[in-house]
Amino acid sequence: MNISYNWLNDLIDIDLAPNELGEKLTNIGLAVEGIHAHGDDFVFDIDLTSNRPDCLSHLGVAREIGVISNKASAAETQRRGENGTVAPNSVVLTADIVKIEAADLCARFTARIIKNVKIATSPQWLARRLEAIGERSINNVADITNYVMHELGQPMHAFDLDKLNGKRIVVRRANAGETITTLDEIERNLDSSTLAICDTEKPIAVAGVMGGLDSSITDDTSNVLLEVAFFKRENIRATSRKLNLSTEASYRFERGVDVENLVRASNRATELICELAGGTADELIDVYPTNFKANNIRSNDISAAVKRLTGLDVSTAESIRVLTALGLTMKAESEISDIRSQIYVVPSWRHDLAIEEDLVEEVARHAGYENIASELPPAFGAGEYQATEIREKLLRQTLVVMGFDEALSFSFIDKKFDGLFETAPGLIDENTADKYVTLQDSVVEGAVRMRPSLLPGLLDAVRLNFNHQRRDLRLFELGKVFAAKSSEDNLPNEQESFGMVITGSEIQENRAMPARQFDFYDAKGAVEAALDAAGATDAEFTATNVKHLRIGQSAAITVGGKAAGYVGRLSDEIAATYKFKQPVYLAEINLQLVLDGPVASSAYRPLAKYPSVVRDVSFIAHRKTAYADISGAILEQNYELCTNVMFVDIYEGKGLTGDERSITIRLEYRSDERTLVEDEVESLHRQIVEQIENKLDIKVRF
Amino acid sequence: MTEELEQVRNIQKAFEQEFGRFADLSVDRIAVDDAEDLLREVGELKIRRMGKKSAIAGAMKLIGNVAPEERGNFGQFVQSVEKEIAAKIEQIEASLNEVISKAKIERERLDVTIPGWRPRTGHLHLITILRQKIEDIFVSMGYAIEDDREIETDYYNFDALNIPEGHPARESQDTFYTTDGFALRSQTSTVQIRAMERRGVPIRILAPGRVYRRDTPDMTHTPMFHQLEGLCVDKGITMAHLKGTVTEWLKRLFGEDTVTRFRPSYFPFTEPSAEFDFSCFKCHGSGKFEGERCRPCKGSGWIELGGSGMVHPNVLKAVGVDPVVYSGFAFGFGLERMCALMYSLDDIRLMFDNDVRFLEQFR
Repeated sequence: MNISYNWLNDLIDIDLAPNELGEKLTNIGLAVEGIHAHGDDFVFDIDLTSNRPDCLSHLGVAREIGVISNKASAAETQRRGENGTVAPNSVVLTADIVKIEAADLCARFTARIIKNVKIATSPQWLARRLEAIGERSINNVADITNYVMHELGQPMHAFDLDKLNGKRIVVRRANAGETITTLDEIERNLDSSTLAICDTEKPIAVAGVMGGLDSSITDDTSNVLLEVAFFKRENIRATSRKLNLSTEASYRFERGVDVENLVRASNRATELICELAGGTADELIDVYPTNFKANNIRSNDISAAVKRLTGLDVSTAESIRVLTALGLTMKAESEISDIRSQIYVVPSWRHDLAIEEDLVEEVARHAGYENIASELPPAFGAGEYQATEIREKLLRQTLVVMGFDEALSFSFIDKKFDGLFETAPGLIDENTADKYVTLQDSVVEGAVRMRPSLLPGLLDAVRLNFNHQRRDLRLFELGKVFAAKSSEDNLPNEQESFGMVITGSEIQENRAMPARQFDFYDAKGAVEAALDAAGATDAEFTATNVKHLRIGQSAAITVGGKAAGYVGRLSDEIAATYKFKQPVYLAEINLQLVLDGPVASSAYRPLAKYPSVVRDVSFIAHRKTAYADISGAILEQNYELCTNVMFVDIYEGKGLTGDERSITIRLEYRSDERTLVEDEVESLHRQIVEQIENKLDIKVRF
Repeated sequence: MTEELEQVRNIQKAFEQEFGRFADLSVDRIAVDDAEDLLREVGELKIRRMGKKSAIAGAMKLIGNVAPEERGNFGQFVQSVEKEIAAKIEQIEASLNEVISKAKIERERLDVTIPGWRPRTGHLHLITILRQKIEDIFVSMGYAIEDDREIETDYYNFDALNIPEGHPARESQDTFYTTDGFALRSQTSTVQIRAMERRGVPIRILAPGRVYRRDTPDMTHTPMFHQLEGLCVDKGITMAHLKGTVTEWLKRLFGEDTVTRFRPSYFPFTEPSAEFDFSCFKCHGSGKFEGERCRPCKGSGWIELGGSGMVHPNVLKAVGVDPVVYSGFAFGFGLERMCALMYSLDDIRLMFDNDVRFLEQFR
């Protein structure tokens, strides 16, 4: 909002230079964003918080300056208008001219008829003043209504009286189907939620927002009806929003104007119209069905309250001075003898003051936040991270060291991903009809689903990076996934999830040639490392078909025996929709399950005293025989001297049939009591190999 | 004895004749391959002239022909000749070996400027990096880190935070709603309520988390971002403690010379309310950096960071805390905005694109 320094000076004597004033205003909460010179004037750009509509005028700002400088603001009429004809101020209720049918939306409506005005351009002083605060001059009457709004904060509207059917005003809800072409020459459809100012036939203005084009002042206007009214804030806000039309008037009405200021504003405008456009004013019509009821705030000791909440020492007298200067009055109460105990009556322009704490802020901001001390609170208990943070931190760190970059994606994704991805176990509640959480609307095209999976976000990231010629990627994300729930309160399920994607080759810093192409086992290894870091060392992988993964290159993951997630290669079908031409490996895990589970603890075993002997053996087996079948068959025998089974490699091709492959494993033999002799190892090794051959019906290759 | 001496001298002469080409050899400018050839030749010569069957080895047998009283002198002479031959051979071998080993070292000299074998390491997201830094500071100050639901009831997102029905902040214009009528939390203040319900008071928590506002993505807005909110409720807490706490963590993050500024403001859940600014980390409040207008603070010297205030009595009442007995402060700010300021990011959307070229710039 723009405020003119000269204009303020008309309302109150300011003994501060513009920059000093700007600083002071900022300090009391009227944030001055900038001051720029305009001719001999200075214009302040003030950013007001939404609770201070009373400062959306020169009068309001002058009032605050009055508290700063301890001066009362002068009446605006003292400065000019000596030549003007001040209209009589008698108040009549003339139902013949104004009728409020929707009193719940219009608490007060004043109208005044000014006859025989001459519409012309505004005098230079008026046009300049408006220009200084960034307003365009239109004609004398329109400019005056604008001017008084900026001076006193009260929006108003001038109608061409002769264009009103029946020459009267009805304030009512619009009927469905009614339309009005507003001053901006746009035809607008109204409905019963909209408060309209009407003549006997049709809407002539959208109340509090914008006047109609048909009834507006033109060069030919000679009789004016000046509307100065008070509308319900919520209704104006809703209408402004519905019509997508925000005006200086609606901006003020929806924040709250001063219902007790209507007559003064009307008088002021009338005075100026008569002075600048000629004309004679009728008496004021004031329809005010329910009187304003002021808020009372009891405070037993405002000074103590200020001290308690801010630590500031402000005397009772100074506190009362600030509050009084802001327009609060004190209610005389006979039973109160202590000056500290007061009932404060809130002025009609302050909608934001309701409790003692509000008064504390008023006193404190004028005492100056800069005068509040700066100290740490007394020592308290020990700090703590979230229970899961340490494990998440280790997981993150491990993946980063392994070469993963951490991704962060929006929580809402497109509907088109529905059902495309198997979600991590534990998320979906099968008892709900609608499995997903859906937003009523979105600001990102199509993105109305709260993501049930992290994978679509990661795949989008893969595509984006491919488009920037980055084809060797390892990304992970930690975040929540969402699904509907059929519990009592129906609040959706929010599950902590871990997702990752791997594609391309392992790369070395600053070296052009990649080391090795990623495969399924890189994804699996990363999952194992991540889970291990998060404290889950018992992850198991089982070949499983997963709808978004390629058959034969996918596995289900269990942690602590519970289904936790999936890892594998993205299916060709989905890859094709992204136009991915290189294999992409994915994993998603119910991280909640992992973090809720126990942390694997460390245990010490004495170091081996005697050397071990290793033997490699290769089996020719049908493809269906898994490595885990072989290693499991050995481990389940609990051979005392066979201390370890490890995978060496797989061979397929020349010398083997299409169904066959050769699996090489390494066995480690060791005793804790003595050095093993060759014969002993050889005979045990032979025994184990035979046992495997017999059990799995496979053959030793060499 | 003369004859025997003459024989030894002849042996010596014969050696020197054969060795002559080596004696004159200048090893300084010799090629490695030549040096290796020569070394081999010297080796052969050594066997011929020094081996068990060599003439000099045989010369000792002549001692029997020498008169007994002269045997001592003769023996010494033979030994000195043998030593001289050995020394000469040894010297040339050493020189050649040095040439060879020097050349070999030279040949195996590495280019240490070639990048090391270093598997590419990944990067934490900028938001995680900053969040962890700030969490560390607050944990050290006795705060517990908290988070909670992202999809909330209106009660937690609004009512309990003193944002009654009809309040502009409740307009669906700003808040995302699910089709079931739940709100995506529009501020992490919801965690204040949940945490106070769980933990009661006194309480000190820091709540980082995702929040959602219906802002169309542009350079400075994203519909999802991260907020960090602090809450401290106890007996006797004042705005002085708010100032002290905010100033302290900003100092720890940006350095001891950081100063803060509090300006009156308005938030429904605090009263009194304040916005807080801190002296620009780049220009240290001068507004100029290297003679130019400082970018993060736009030349003002101040960075406007977040909102704060004393917890509104209605918020305390909502969780059953008596505002007459307890008071507290809360403050909050957006992590994306802070990151954008710290790294002069001109487009905040980069935070959620997951463009590796962006991600790998931070650690």
